Amino acid sequence: MSNLVAQNIRTFETHPGVEISAESPLVFFHQRSGAPAPCTESRVALRERALLGHLILRGGAIVLDEAVHSVLGFGLPAYPNALSRDEGGERSIQWLSPDEWLLIVPGGEEFGLEGKLREALGDAHYAIVNVSGGQTLLELEGEAARELLMKSTPYDVHPDNFPVGKGVTTVFAKANLILRRPTETRWELVLRRSFADYLYRWILDAGEAYAIGVEV
Amino acid sequence: MNQINRLREGGRIDRARTLSFTFNGKRYQGHAGDTLASALLANGVNIVNRSFKYSRPRGIVAAGAEEPNALIQLGGTESAQVPNVRATQQALFDGLTAQSTNGWPNVQRDLMSLVGKLGGRFMPPGFYYKTFMAPASMWMTYEKVIRKGAGLGRSPMERDPDSYDHLNQHCDLLVIGAGPVGLAAALTAARSGTRVILCDEQEEMGGSLLDSRELLDNQPAVQWVERVLDELAQCDNVTLLPRTTANGYHDHHFVTLHERRTEHLGETAPQGAGYRPTRSRMHRVRAGQVLLATGAHERPLVYGSNDVPGNLVAGAVSTYVRRYGVVPGNKLILSTTNDYAYRAALDWLDVGREVVAIVDARQAPDGELVAQARARGIRIIEGAAVLEAKGGNRVSGARIAAIDAEAFKVTGQAETLACDTIASSGGYSPVIHLASHTGARPSWNEESLGFVPSLVRGVHAAGSARGVHDLAEGLADGAAMAEQALEALDRPAGPIALPQVDSLREGAACAFYQVPHEKPTLRGPKQFVDQQNDVTAAAIELATREGFESIEHVKRYTAMGFGTDQGKLGNINGMAIAARCLGKTIPEVGTTVFRPNYTPVTFGAIVGRHCRDLFDPERYTALHQWHVEHGAEFEDVGQWKRPWYFPKTVNGKSETLDEAVARECLAVRQGVGVLDASTLGKIDIQGPDAREFLGRVYTNKWAKLAPGRVRYGLMCKDDGMLMDDGTTSCLGENHFLMTTTTGGAAGVMEWLELWHQTEWPELQVYFTSVTDHWATITVTGPEARKLLSEITDIDLDKEQFKFMDWREGQVADVPARVFRISFTGELAYEINVQANYALHVWTTLFEHGDKYDLTPYGTETMHVLRAEKGLIIAGQDTDGSVTPEDLGMQWAVGYDKPFPWIGKRALSRSDTRRKDRKQLVGLKPKDSAVVLEEGAQIVFDPDHAIPMPMVGHVTSSYYSAILGHGIALAVVKGGHHRIGETVYLPMVDGQVHQAEIVSNVFYDPKGERQHV
Repeated sequence: MSNLVAQNIRTFETHPGVEISAESPLVFFHQRSGAPAPCTESRVALRERALLGHLILRGGAIVLDEAVHSVLGFGLPAYPNALSRDEGGERSIQWLSPDEWLLIVPGGEEFGLEGKLREALGDAHYAIVNVSGGQTLLELEGEAARELLMKSTPYDVHPDNFPVGKGVTTVFAKANLILRRPTETRWELVLRRSFADYLYRWILDAGEAYAIGVEV
Repeated sequence: MNQINRLREGGRIDRARTLSFTFNGKRYQGHAGDTLASALLANGVNIVNRSFKYSRPRGIVAAGAEEPNALIQLGGTESAQVPNVRATQQALFDGLTAQSTNGWPNVQRDLMSLVGKLGGRFMPPGFYYKTFMAPASMWMTYEKVIRKGAGLGRSPMERDPDSYDHLNQHCDLLVIGAGPVGLAAALTAARSGTRVILCDEQEEMGGSLLDSRELLDNQPAVQWVERVLDELAQCDNVTLLPRTTANGYHDHHFVTLHERRTEHLGETAPQGAGYRPTRSRMHRVRAGQVLLATGAHERPLVYGSNDVPGNLVAGAVSTYVRRYGVVPGNKLILSTTNDYAYRAALDWLDVGREVVAIVDARQAPDGELVAQARARGIRIIEGAAVLEAKGGNRVSGARIAAIDAEAFKVTGQAETLACDTIASSGGYSPVIHLASHTGARPSWNEESLGFVPSLVRGVHAAGSARGVHDLAEGLADGAAMAEQALEALDRPAGPIALPQVDSLREGAACAFYQVPHEKPTLRGPKQFVDQQNDVTAAAIELATREGFESIEHVKRYTAMGFGTDQGKLGNINGMAIAARCLGKTIPEVGTTVFRPNYTPVTFGAIVGRHCRDLFDPERYTALHQWHVEHGAEFEDVGQWKRPWYFPKTVNGKSETLDEAVARECLAVRQGVGVLDASTLGKIDIQGPDAREFLGRVYTNKWAKLAPGRVRYGLMCKDDGMLMDDGTTSCLGENHFLMTTTTGGAAGVMEWLELWHQTEWPELQVYFTSVTDHWATITVTGPEARKLLSEITDIDLDKEQFKFMDWREGQVADVPARVFRISFTGELAYEINVQANYALHVWTTLFEHGDKYDLTPYGTETMHVLRAEKGLIIAGQDTDGSVTPEDLGMQWAVGYDKPFPWIGKRALSRSDTRRKDRKQLVGLKPKDSAVVLEEGAQIVFDPDHAIPMPMVGHVTSSYYSAILGHGIALAVVKGGHHRIGETVYLPMVDGQVHQAEIVSNVFYDPKGERQHV
């Protein structure tokens, strides 16, 4: 697929045309320290959903919503701090700020999707930025997941304040991340690449009390 | 061992479980449910410490957080040492080992006491200030000696085997204190469904009800406690935190709670199933509303020798007898100002010990408890007080006389009665510490004779904490205040059924603090106000005489209520004494400020998990693992770990920094080197006004930069001083990629957003950080083209791909943007690929790099190479006071741009136009072996009398391997016009270096090498 110039913007397909191994930001940690395997005592499980496509959308909510709807079949979340997903849950859009959303799709889809969105957006003022190499997504699941989060973030993760479908950018340990709750039992953390190792080690340390297991 | 003071029955201890413990090297036994203090009293241990200043023997005075004397050093091993634990708050566990914090060689025979007895006379308040005032330079020496003698515990010298953590909690209502008032409040709130946290500092919840004589619903009060706790435990919306002290009340109802999770089990946390729990935990609570049910501390009376072991506060006597089954003596005298304290005498009598007399400061007391005491035949001496305790290591008697409290006079003949215990009560001080942390000044309540808290919005106090001491009234108050808090939350709840209490009618208490003596305060026996800090009534009187009228000054002069004590027992008495001396009332004198923490918090709990390798985030690039595996030494750049240099092993020895850097520098100048430049900040800029925006934030021009081209830009703050620099590439007509310095990335991003959002919202442009998305690999050196051409499809022909161009293509089969920009002065290509593919590209370069001796280099070499070219590093060669012109970079300033860019106006101020500003120049040391020190000051005339006028300083300095001598960048006043002049750098060791002012471009002055 070729890079395209639309509205004087230069897009860029980052994936090679040939088979080349890609590395998630957590490769270093896995190789250095390994990861505790899940066991019967595990009250929380950790999974990385590596190498997904991450796009930042900037622009007005109405035009973006229309474009996203026409391309993906579902729209922007209707509220701040909210998350919308397609039926299978494979693709999601999260509100980040009044003119900023995070679109996460299966890895490899992002470039084609960006092209389609640009086409649908026409002359509108907007920006789409591929940040797939810069972040990764972790999933936390299990009865102790919420307490683990309480150890780590000052944000209130009680269901009263953090219902399913919510997502926030917040402080986590001494770094930032995006925290969201796509389902009743599952939490997702979107980490920046350069902080990923630190955050991952923090989570494993905090999870020790709950016999945290890493599912590969 | 014999627990001589242990009652055969009664109390909440488990006599079936005997626990051994060691105190000051001696073994004792106690029972499960004891505190260390109750176990010591059970064993008849009178002396638990030596006092801080006078080294007097001291015993246990209280039963809770307010205990001033029983501060112990806990821990049987070095690594488990904990200083300043109150024995009254430490649950007994089997094997507990503790020592007094003060006293040498031991508390029984203390050598320091001799010094104290002699020295005490010569240690008036302010002693340290007066004695050690001069010379100031000696203070550090004095301090060490004073510290050593002062005692108050020591920290462990070995690594703590335990771990600690934090838990962030949120609730609608935080109830602090689980006595009757807190329980009534929590129960009310629990039934409303709101999120409630109830914390209590003691081993068991229940507070005063655990040793109460009163019945609730005609049953022992503890049964009601158990029922309420059962119900609360069933509620999903309630979190119960026993053994948890609310230590600090911070802004916006942020309260820190310190939970001791395993400290009642052993000196280190026990090994669980595969996991060792954290020893203690800091709950960081953000509450909607806070209800303080913190109760009150009983005030002792201030009389002569009131610190001899055997003097207790009255309530503590009841607590030890009724809760712990310990009666700390045989013959009791009670000195009181109120009815409530009569309980102590009745409790004492109930367990079959002798009450010698109750000495009541009031004339004709007539409450129901007084009547009960009379009916049981206790001698009550009215209108009198204990003037003075007798005895040395233990109370042996009390001198009692009629007094006139108002006139502060002894009015009768003193009589001495034999006894071994004196309990005293001067009333009850609400525990207002937490309310005081919010900054609200408490006010004096004449009816309850105590300071009651002033409350900021969202804080409620109930029961004793606001002077409502009666049990029935307190229960109702707890429920009512909870209702008030729930209304504020808009979650009203129905009333709860309060238990039935048969309240006893109490007579009025009298205001009485310091007991008069026949002798003046300064001559009579010492009357202690603050036993922990050894502050006496005489010291306060002396302070007022010396002119200290503000209570805050008195406090500092005497040290009253300092440190871990925080004035729990003594402050009100101290204020009353100051008020008497100054002829004022207590509210006129006012109170001092209480500060966090309420009781000491172990450092571990404050630190939590933010320690060791989790102390601070370490940011890694996508190539970090390769650097580690190839032996890189790392440098911290912000939170990034960047390779500093890559030492090789030569002849079995690892290269030094200097050796490695010289080798790396020459490799780049003569062959080819490679740098991981991924940490540079990268910002994607899109929008029709992107170009216009760049023109406004950069000093130079952007109107004509064509797609495919790159330009270096300077960014100034609005004061005209350089803030950051970097290259920006035109990707498309409306699309740019900006780079920033590694450390400046986040700041620049915020800067752009700030100006866009606040000043120029009409500009259509968006900024997005892509720092982490791209990995940047710099290939540089004369051989760079040859190497890169082996693995890329991009045409690297020097006419097709010029300096300051960028091209797109494949590098090692990975889609890449390659920028021909140079920070070394050599031919250079910066390869940007999606970070997930970086390692592949990097290793492919090395697969092809062998024949060119491809050399990885780090930040140190990068610094030397750029300095040889006179290229600045923002933040090293600039410090927020340097303009682009000071740097000699007028060529990058577009004064004629149509829009006044940030900083332009400041650059026409007279100060920024001065000719003698410090300007960036190169320095060449006259002695080629010398490498100047960074930061060294520069003078024009080394023979000038000291102080010499300093005219600048060295900002960067290195040894240049390619040039064979030291080079430096410096700022020098008027330096641009002084090229060729000699300057001098006088050093600390007396040497004076000479250097010539030269151009800041040392190597390849025409800049030909980067264009090849």
